[in-house]
Amino acid sequence: MNIQQAVKMAWKSIWGKKGRSALTILGIFIGIAAVMTIVSVMEGMKQKTMEQFEAMGSNRITVSIYSWMYDEDGNDISKDYFPDLYDYCNGMKEYVMGITPTGYCNATVSYGTKSTANMQYSWDEMGNPVGDIPPSLYYGSDQYAACNNLTIAKGRDLAQLDIEKYNQVCVMGAQAAKIFFGSANPVNQTVQVNGQNFLVVGVYASRLSEESAGASTLDNFIVFPYTARRVLGGEKPTEFLVKARSSEDMTEAISRLSGFLRGLVDQNTGGYNVYSESQWQQSNEYLTMIGMVLAGIAAISLLVGGIGIMNIMLVTVTERTREIGIRRAIGAQRGSIVAQFLIEAAMLCGIGGIVGIAFGTLGSMALSTLMFQMTIYPSPAVTIGSFSLSVVLGVIFGSYPAVKASKLQPVEALRAE
Amino acid sequence: MAKLITLRDVYKIYGEGLESEVRALDGVSLDIERGEFVAVVGQSGSGKSTMMNVLGCLDIPTRGEYFLDGTDVQELTDKELSRIRNKQIGFIFQQYNLIQSLTVLENVELPLIYQGINADDRYDMAMAALERVGLAGRVKHKPAEMSGGQQQRVAIARAIATKPPIIMADEPTGALDSRTGQEVLKFLQQLNREGSTVILITHDNGIAATARRVVRLQDGKIVEDHGQEVDWL
Repeated sequence: MNIQQAVKMAWKSIWGKKGRSALTILGIFIGIAAVMTIVSVMEGMKQKTMEQFEAMGSNRITVSIYSWMYDEDGNDISKDYFPDLYDYCNGMKEYVMGITPTGYCNATVSYGTKSTANMQYSWDEMGNPVGDIPPSLYYGSDQYAACNNLTIAKGRDLAQLDIEKYNQVCVMGAQAAKIFFGSANPVNQTVQVNGQNFLVVGVYASRLSEESAGASTLDNFIVFPYTARRVLGGEKPTEFLVKARSSEDMTEAISRLSGFLRGLVDQNTGGYNVYSESQWQQSNEYLTMIGMVLAGIAAISLLVGGIGIMNIMLVTVTERTREIGIRRAIGAQRGSIVAQFLIEAAMLCGIGGIVGIAFGTLGSMALSTLMFQMTIYPSPAVTIGSFSLSVVLGVIFGSYPAVKASKLQPVEALRAE
Repeated sequence: MAKLITLRDVYKIYGEGLESEVRALDGVSLDIERGEFVAVVGQSGSGKSTMMNVLGCLDIPTRGEYFLDGTDVQELTDKELSRIRNKQIGFIFQQYNLIQSLTVLENVELPLIYQGINADDRYDMAMAALERVGLAGRVKHKPAEMSGGQQQRVAIARAIATKPPIIMADEPTGALDSRTGQEVLKFLQQLNREGSTVILITHDNGIAATARRVVRLQDGKIVEDHGQEVDWL
């Protein structure tokens, strides 16, 4: 008996019991659709975070310097290391694009009726913000933009003079500018920061496309010269971001910075750390892990579906005992009987797989559109993998009933009612 | 030339060694030549169905030798037994044993499928067999849509489609009225005239009387074995 004939027979048997076959297929199809949707959406999420991290740029080095030098009143009297680091980095421009402190400024920014003190926002069910999110306020150097992959869209960037002269100026991220000024030009407007006048000298270009969901948070910030700390308050910066020109330059820059800091920081009263920023990989690994856990949970439904297949195939074998006896009597070999039931199970699962792939594709398209405003089609690998998985499930769970059918003695099988 | 069928001291014992052991075949020896028309007759429980199962390679004797066309059946694998059932023997059962989900044509094609014959030849062979039993016009029907006599003719067509040298019929008229039963018998006689060896299992002495040789079984033993003149030759 050839395969084509066996497939025809299996199809006849599946089609002959449409209702039962459909119910059996349901288990597999839900499982496959769930696994596919989850895998695709996780892929999308990974792409999304990658996009965000790429927008901020790679080859970033974090330098942190800490000290425990305090006066009798408990005030931190350690040195501000930034000017030294700044000069040192400017001395190795062939490796380094820039350096900036990374510190948060805790202040209230207002312009007209808009104020960070009374901004209201919430998240809708798709995870998109509704209302205005107060921008993050950072202290930076004139190289803040270089360190964060930013370019000026309007006006000018922070200048070294702003820092030296304690100028009360700021540069806004695209989203922050939108919140305060809408479509008007923010350049040369004055905003109130903790009651002090600060001049907006420039606006950075958006790093993500407007439609991208991350844009509303990633570009929602205002940068002040770090010397504005004098009027706005805040801790002395202890963390600095150094941007290397390439990953090879990053290795060189790290070793040079470490050497420099060894001489600069008194090891008895403090210490330092220089490390490459590996958030990107970490978050990627984290997402992969979550994805695997979720896919594993969905795979349990596949297992249940597979057991359903086995169950129904056992019932089928019992119901068709006499048929098996007849087939054996007129010359079917054991192998033919095994093939018949195995192919039937594999076909049931295969059909379930195809329907599951269709629904999984729709599911991942719909879910990714809702969650990331981008349409994710399952990759060919995921599609082919899902189909193969369903057929393999059929073969695995169909083999016990099929072998059981083939072991029936012809005489006994013929006696069955 | 070797006999077509040789049974030597064949036993089929169920539950051997137990107090309740049943000797369905109790030391049977029998030779059947090519071209014979043998009726194996006996009451229910005489062991005639077991005899048919053993002769038809559906069951293996507990002890004893069975040579089919010179081959020692005891030594064959399941695969080889399947092949013998497929090529050497055509079965006709009391309950027709057609597969209800298949059409008439598909039922008749089934043994040919297991022979691996290609679709065109298979169709021709199955149609030829169905024409012989006068059912070529009803090939698309399901067995349940036909009368008992017609179903038995389909079963006969299935049995002869592979042109096997041996036809084994187990109470082939048992489920039919006497007129259609007669037709089935006439058909078996016709096959015998054309050279097939026919082994007919029955409890009906009247039917046994139409066979050229009668083997009577009782309690698993052969109690009578004689040839007789028949009017249909």
